[in-house]
Formats: sequence, structure tokens, C-alpha cells
Amino acid sequence: MENSKKISRRKFLSLSLLGVGGVALISLNPFSKSTSSNWRFFTNDEGVLVDALAEQIIPTDESMGARDAGATNFIDKQLMGPYIRYQETYRKGLKAIQETCKTNFKKSFEALEWEEQTKFLQSMEAGKIEGSNWEKGFDKEFFELIRSHTMQSFYGSPRHGGNKNNVSYKMMRLDYPVIIGQNRYKV
Amino acid sequence: MIKNKLLKTALLAIPIFIGVCLLSFGTFYSYWNTASADKTCASCHEIQKSVHSQSMSTHRDLKCKECHGTALSNGFHSLEEKGMMVVNHVLKIKTEDIHMNEEQVLGVMDNCKRCHTSEFAKWTSGGHSADYKAIFTNKKHNSTEQMNFDCLRCHGMFNNGTVEELVEPLNRKGPWHLKDDKEMAARPTIPCLACHQVHQDGLTKKNPDYSNPKSIFYHKDSSKSNLTFYDRHEKMNFSVSDLPKLTLWEGKRAVKVSDDLLMRNCVQCHAPNATHQAGTSDDRTPRGVHKGLSCMACHDTHSNDARNSCIKCHPAISNCKLDVIKMNTTYADAKSPNNIHFVSCTDCHDGKQQQKLNLSNKIIKLYR
Repeated sequence: MENSKKISRRKFLSLSLLGVGGVALISLNPFSKSTSSNWRFFTNDEGVLVDALAEQIIPTDESMGARDAGATNFIDKQLMGPYIRYQETYRKGLKAIQETCKTNFKKSFEALEWEEQTKFLQSMEAGKIEGSNWEKGFDKEFFELIRSHTMQSFYGSPRHGGNKNNVSYKMMRLDYPVIIGQNRYKV
Repeated sequence: MIKNKLLKTALLAIPIFIGVCLLSFGTFYSYWNTASADKTCASCHEIQKSVHSQSMSTHRDLKCKECHGTALSNGFHSLEEKGMMVVNHVLKIKTEDIHMNEEQVLGVMDNCKRCHTSEFAKWTSGGHSADYKAIFTNKKHNSTEQMNFDCLRCHGMFNNGTVEELVEPLNRKGPWHLKDDKEMAARPTIPCLACHQVHQDGLTKKNPDYSNPKSIFYHKDSSKSNLTFYDRHEKMNFSVSDLPKLTLWEGKRAVKVSDDLLMRNCVQCHAPNATHQAGTSDDRTPRGVHKGLSCMACHDTHSNDARNSCIKCHPAISNCKLDVIKMNTTYADAKSPNNIHFVSCTDCHDGKQQQKLNLSNKIIKLYR
């Protein structure tokens, strides 16, 4: 009887330790994010680059530009959803842009002067970027993709992550949500 | 002997295991419900956006559970929902845009009224608290106008169904009844969250620095309001500062409309027809002598009560010796042809009164 009590204590202790360990493990929170990026798909560096690219496509004038309208947020969000198929293209394209800029200008794209950025993107649009990072036509293809997504972010519904505060609707003087009544009869 | 030992060990181990499990769950549950949102809810990236916006709002000091309840608040339904969030997370199913269903919106509303008692009482006493039965089975309305999908834009905006699923028959003959009368009849069609977003940006919680006049309220940007409009189509709240200002026409003449941001919310539902002609559809924009006034100049925001509103601007007896409260307008008598929303000078001032006014003005000039 005494022996079995001693075994129970040991068992009790080991099981208790197991329990406490379990609690500690749960408290660590298994859902916490492991990455340090502020974005869903992009790295922080990629986010800065996409901001700069989008701002070139729709620059700030008297109205907000694509950067402030949340173009990067839109693209990042869609890349984790309906545009998941473009993830690889973005990773490859953004890397290619930075490597080309560092080779040619010794600077990252976002550090270039505004005019230099414009010229670079014009070369991309024309398919004239050279280098091992750019397969035939990839420069043109990637430019078209990012331009199309920037446009979508800027002119689409804010629910998709872009067009912050209805910026493009305000710019176009488009009333949204539309003010339209019912066919009310006279009461 | 060995069998006995094993049995005894098992008999001890099982209750200990259950106890430890309960203790672990209890500890975790207590931690989850007491720790700050940054360490709990926000660690789930799907709702980080909501947690972040809440931290910038007027309700920043509230814990998530005070409005949303805990994982056990609604019994099995809550557990199932939270369980599915974990499953979706593991399966990497995109669940970033989380929307509350109508039941949850009404659940939040129950929590709103715990603190906002006065506002809730006012809302209850006003027209915006009309329930589904009052709105969708109204004989006068239904026999005059065909119900359609767009009714839900302003009545029942959080309802996930369609008007076909809600009421029958969909014609102008009736008699009409709600398909799920027991569940839907008493539900409000315009709950708090139709105009208020709990997570909307709030004012900073800081006393003004009186040595710095620029920090005092009347120097601050007044172009922002925490009022929002819930758009059923987009399933999102638009801040009133992002809503369009109404352009209104009387024939070809533009009507002056108030710049008040709050009014932009009103006109989303109390709107004119597609050509924005004044007085069409449900437009009640002030015209005539009241042009340029905001709805809020007369109506209480929650009860919509406009009683005693005249005396806010007009003296009890006006300059033209008329008692504005007893004048022949819809303020004094609902059947008056002079609707307060578009009453003009000549509606109340007949020739005789005008003569009196002219005489009165002459006398005033004489004594100046």
C-alpha cells in the first residue's frame, strides 16, 4: 500500500509537470506570427519598392497618388487571395528590378531620382531592359502586370484594400455610394 | 499484482490528466479573456486590422469581449465559428474580411445600450427603430410601390438574405407576411451599426494645452466625424467625410445644400431620384426659407424628434410678429400644406401681413 502511494506521487509530479508545460506551451500562442514583415506576402523591402513603383504609375498631384491610396496594400492582399498565381512573378520581378538598379545605378529603385525611375520604367514598358534576370519579354510583362494591378487598386472599390478614403472617386467627382432614392409616392 | 498496479496508476492518472486539461484550458481561457488584445486577438492576423482600428477608436479602452463576447458567449455557435477560424487559418483559406452577420450586429447593439442608455432610449422612440414587420408588411407602402432588392439598402442592411427570402408575396396585392415571422418580426431594420462603426477613429484622449491656443478644440480640424454609413453592397462602413455631398436641383436651378457632414449620412437614404430633383423620392432637403440648413439643425440625431427646434433659431415671436410655432406649417399641423422642409415666405405671409410688416419696418426706420 505504501509502495503504491510513492509511485502515485512520482506519477503525480510528472503528470503535473506535463500539465504545467502544456499550459506554458498554449500560453505561447500557436497563432502568433513568425515573420517580422508588416505585409501579408511582401517583405518590408519589397513593400517599399512596390510603393515607389505604384507612385510612378499614378503619381501624387492635386489628388493623392497610388502610394497614399494603398496600392501596395491592395496588391499584397490580392496576392494572398485571388492573385495567388502571381506570387512567384512578383517575387521574381521585384528582385530583378532591384538587382538591375543596383548593377546599373549602384542604388535601389526607390533611391533613384524621380526622372531616373521614370526612365527605368519606360525601358521596362518597352521591353528594353537587359540582363540575366530578365528573360525575353519578362520586363514588359511584369510592367504590364504591376501597372494593371496599380490601376485596379486606385480605381476599384476600397473594400479590396486600395482606393483609400475613396480617393479616386473624389478625384473623378464620382458620387459613391450613389445617392439615389426610391420611387416614393406622395404621402 | 502488476495488473493491480497498472489499474491503480491508470485510476490515478486519468483524473489527474482530466484535471490538468481543465486547468490548462481554464488558464488559457482566463489569459485570453484578460490579457490585452495585442497579446491575444491581434495575434491572429485575420483580425489584426480590426484590433488596430479599435485601438484608434473612441472605444479603445474596451476589451474585444465587451462587445463581441467570448468564444463561449453564444454556446455552440460561437465555438463552431471560432473553430472554423482556426481550421481556415491552418488550411490557409483567406478570411481577412470578416463580417458580422445580422444576429451578431444585434448582439453588439445589446452591448451598445449598456453604456449609451440615453441614445438607445431616443432611438427606440424614433422612426429609425422600426422593425421588419412594420417596414415590410406595411399595407399602404406595399400596395403603392413594388418591393424590390434595394429596400434592404436602407432597411435591413445587415441582412444576408434577399427580399424574396424575407417577405411574401412580392406583389402589390398582398396580404404580406414575413416568411420567418417569429424570428424576424421584432428585429430592428436600422441598428446602431448602420450609422456608427464602433472601430471608427475617435478623438485623442488628451486635455487641451491651454497655453497653446492651437490645441483647443475650435482650432482643430472639424472635417472629420466618427459617423459612418454602412453600405450593404460593399459590406463596409464609409466615413461621412468620404460620402458625397448631395447636389440638388429645382428644375435647372441648383439648390443650396448644407455642408454639414452628418447630413451626408441622412441623404444616403432620404435621397432624391436619379436626376436629383428636389422633393422627389424621399428627399427632404431643406429648401425655401430653410435652404442650406442641415437635417441636424432641427432633428435630434437619435430620436429624429424636431419638437422645439424652431425656437433654436427663431425668437418666440418673430420679427414679423408671427409666432413661428403656431404658423400654418407642418410643424404646427401635420396636415398643413406648408411643409416645413420647403416652406417659403409667401406660404405664410399673405398681403395683409406683408402690409403690417412694411409698416413695422417703416416705424423701425423712423426710430433709428
